[in-house]
Amino acid sequence: MGIPIPNSKLGMWLFLGTEIMFFTAFIGSYIVLRLGSNGWPTRYEDTHINVLLGGINTFVLIVSSYCVVVAHEAMAQKNFARARGYLWVTTILAFVFLGIKGVEYKGKIDHDILPGRIPETSSQAMVKVADQLEELVRERFHAYTHAGVITAERPADVVTIAPLLQALSTAERPSALTDSEFKRYQEASVADYELFQKWMNLKQHIVADVSLYEVESALPADYLAKRDALPEGARLPALKLEEVRRYLNDLKTRDWPLAGLINSRVFDPHPMVYGNIFASCYFIMTGFHAIHVIVGMILFGMVLKQGSSLNERWTDWVENSGLYWHFVDLVWIFLFPLLYII
Amino acid sequence: MSHDDHQTHHVNYLAVFFVLCGCTGLSVLFDVLSMPKGVTIVLVLAVACAKAMSVMMYFMHLKFEGNWKYVLLAPTTILAVGLPIALFPDIGRSYYINAAPQVTAWADEVAEYEREHAAADGGAH
Repeated sequence: MGIPIPNSKLGMWLFLGTEIMFFTAFIGSYIVLRLGSNGWPTRYEDTHINVLLGGINTFVLIVSSYCVVVAHEAMAQKNFARARGYLWVTTILAFVFLGIKGVEYKGKIDHDILPGRIPETSSQAMVKVADQLEELVRERFHAYTHAGVITAERPADVVTIAPLLQALSTAERPSALTDSEFKRYQEASVADYELFQKWMNLKQHIVADVSLYEVESALPADYLAKRDALPEGARLPALKLEEVRRYLNDLKTRDWPLAGLINSRVFDPHPMVYGNIFASCYFIMTGFHAIHVIVGMILFGMVLKQGSSLNERWTDWVENSGLYWHFVDLVWIFLFPLLYII
Repeated sequence: MSHDDHQTHHVNYLAVFFVLCGCTGLSVLFDVLSMPKGVTIVLVLAVACAKAMSVMMYFMHLKFEGNWKYVLLAPTTILAVGLPIALFPDIGRSYYINAAPQVTAWADEVAEYEREHAAADGGAH
């Protein structure tokens, strides 16, 4: 009166039952989150979701599923060489799938489309530009303190190091450096000090929330004096995202030594409402799916390891691994439209 | 690791494979054609369900299995469907955009973003 299938197959189906719940928890939550989030990012410029790559990966998984089912059929017919051949193709296709996924992930990382890294509002986007410029300033200043060009009690305090950097052109050469080395630092210090000023200026305007171009200085004393001079109820023009875009664009396109570095390290401000929850959903679903692909490759690898001594004892293994692989394909069948098309 | 019950079912796997490829092409086609968003979603998900059924029925051989498949899969399916239904009233109907306190501060910026996107989308079509 038991279930008329082998124990291993029953075990695999029970496992797949838990897997269905595992993935539908993600997929179901994603659908519900999307339904509840009016303005969910869908444009390519926001998400960098590449439908063509997703479509190719869908095709790759379908071909691999076909190969697995044919491999299982060959095992049942005791044609082990044919089974091995199809399993090799499946494993290679799994590598192709992961390679394409890697290309997609790199695209997201290059554009900083990562959970917790996406500004969702204009003000967050402006703060992100200032934060990334600050990272650059710290990195540039660290080169001076690390090489002993500038000696400071608190090497991480860029505000106290900045005047020392400004005075570097007239400073004495430290004994640890050669003339040419010191001259190189002196030349670089002009641009690095300017970068510090630009960052500081932006940060002060963000803190004071005043226009970058209509209010020249947002230093606390200047800003407070200007504010006090205003008639009652009036306020200084507020900082706009467009101004920060223009400010950053100027730093990226002007003719100075740091243009290339800023271009590669500071992203144009691009607020994206629900961007972080989108990135979380994308990476958690595709990430867990990719882990399942790797597990499938291990299962097939164990069969392929048998080489020419593959025999009928492995038939159940191939069948159960095949069931697992079809499930991996099944999950992608839903991820593709949900993430790439809709 | 083996058993003797490997029945061979006469399935034209190649035909199933071509059906799956055709369905994938159809999904992409629905995306390319400019149809109302709701229609695209329904069509694309219908195609996904058809593909999933093909894989389960023929590649996973569920078409040829006994009634045990219902016993095994029904509870998981009920739980899987139950989760979104359970979440929907809380999150699906009112995620943080409408009711949460931070929205008050964000309202202008969110409106600006949506205006920009509406203009861009309008321009695209």
